[in-house]
Amino acid sequence: MTKAISNLKTKQPFFERLIDALLSGRGIWPAVPSLVVLIFVAVIPFIILLSLGFSNITISRGEIVSQTLTFDFLVNALTDPLYFTTFKRSLNLAISTTILCLIFGYPVAYLFIVGGKFTKRIILVLTIAPLLTSGIVRTYAWLVILGGRGVVNSTLLHLGVIEQPLRIMNTHWAVLIGMVQIHLPVMILPLIAVMSRHDSNLIEASENLGASRIGTLYTVILPLSSPGIGTGSALVFTLSYTTFVVPQILGGGNYLNAATMIYEQVVFSLEWSKGSVTSLILMITCLLVLVIIAIVTNYFSRWAKEQK
Amino acid sequence: MKSKKYSSFSEAIGVYFIFGIAFFSLILLVAPSLIVLIISFDTRAYLSFPPEGFTLSWYAKVFEKSELVEGFINSMQVGFTVTVLCILLGVPTALACARGRFRGTTALSVFVLIPHMVPGIVLGVAILFSGALVGVTPSIWLQSISITVFVLAVMVRTVQSRLLRLDPALEEAAANLRASSFQNLRTITLPLLMPAILAGAVFTFVEGFDNISVAIFTHGFHDRPLPIELLALVQFTSSPLVAAISGIQIILAILALIVVATTIGLDKVNE
Repeated sequence: MTKAISNLKTKQPFFERLIDALLSGRGIWPAVPSLVVLIFVAVIPFIILLSLGFSNITISRGEIVSQTLTFDFLVNALTDPLYFTTFKRSLNLAISTTILCLIFGYPVAYLFIVGGKFTKRIILVLTIAPLLTSGIVRTYAWLVILGGRGVVNSTLLHLGVIEQPLRIMNTHWAVLIGMVQIHLPVMILPLIAVMSRHDSNLIEASENLGASRIGTLYTVILPLSSPGIGTGSALVFTLSYTTFVVPQILGGGNYLNAATMIYEQVVFSLEWSKGSVTSLILMITCLLVLVIIAIVTNYFSRWAKEQK
Repeated sequence: MKSKKYSSFSEAIGVYFIFGIAFFSLILLVAPSLIVLIISFDTRAYLSFPPEGFTLSWYAKVFEKSELVEGFINSMQVGFTVTVLCILLGVPTALACARGRFRGTTALSVFVLIPHMVPGIVLGVAILFSGALVGVTPSIWLQSISITVFVLAVMVRTVQSRLLRLDPALEEAAANLRASSFQNLRTITLPLLMPAILAGAVFTFVEGFDNISVAIFTHGFHDRPLPIELLALVQFTSSPLVAAISGIQIILAILALIVVATTIGLDKVNE
């Protein structure tokens, strides 16, 4: 019997035996190809980006001729008022976007939890569908709505509220409105995922015990959904802090945020070291905010557990 | 929806206020796309609302513009390459993360997630500069591999969370019946993972097709993807041509949504 089985095993083609060997030890082998790719296409590029940010390079004919260590670019960036205002603008825009997405997204998730089957389906369709369409298409829609002869202006003109078309495009408000609408699904989906993980009987139990609906929302649903709030905020913040498309289209090209600044330094003025430093600052400030979001979420989750 | 008694008038107002915001948000999610669809049939050559006539000529013009058609083909190619690479690299990685018995499984799972946490624009710049140093110029292939690295985490996370929820007894039973690891993988694990792999594939494809942040620095000068063409078009023209392209993309998105809903189920996508 054992002989028959061992015979069977030796008849396996090479490919199958290879996979067998790789899987049976439960080792790291299956992950090696992606590790190699990640090291070559992510880790090494980041090290190079870091080194470029701190070096004085001379480029001739597309090749680096000399490279010396310098902190000038970092110092310049940190003392340059243009950098300060640009990053402040980006941060301000991203934080407002995150808060507004939470204000508009949380009620949708609440409706999802207390709603029936049909409501749940509609909400899922409306939140997943935008994620399948291009960001540019969704931004373009706001060009149509907010433009000089767009939906908002023609409605207001028609109603006689205004005499001249309002200039909404190419302002901070246009960018903010577009950002909130485009990132709303990214906030709603994690909220729904986290909130529907919990037993819906909890909500009913709370209401049966005499808690009001608002009371239930405040004491049961809100604490339990704090991980979802954390995930959603982290995603929306990262995307809106580093977005390029919305400010470029709705801000009309003169709305400079950190991402458009990097684009101009890298693609138009070909300042590699400057672009590297700006990228590094963007990445580090972004990570800092994510860490703060994680700490706050953690704190609230623990607080929620203690309340029980 | 179950009707509940409200203990007080102010409470009822509070709940309806929350529902009111929810309805507003849902309309906000869908209205812009509807408006774009309406505009795409307008006869005038500039953006204006409401439309004054009905024509399909903008849709015909989309297919006359060769750079748009080529951009579409390029983006499809990037989308497919990214999806295939993500499946080939991501599924084994998820297996190692979830089933591995070696030190550092957690470190591995975290390491794989890092490129997705980094802003896409920073990854794009890093790859562009490093490529230039070793003589790799931006091309459709550099774009594909860069976006793969960027979204690999999505595939790994989706498959890994599904793996962790699978009943290990199934695989153990197969192993007890002397199934080899390969047979176990092929007949038990992979079929059970299929919904997760499909869900991951849909999102990696969309990212490959639509990504701007990484693509803007890594795309080839001569094989430009559709989003890059669209970005240029949106900035410098204001005709309903873009609305027609948007209309096509919206229809494709609805098709993708139907495929997702019937094969995986909408609620499974978001687990």
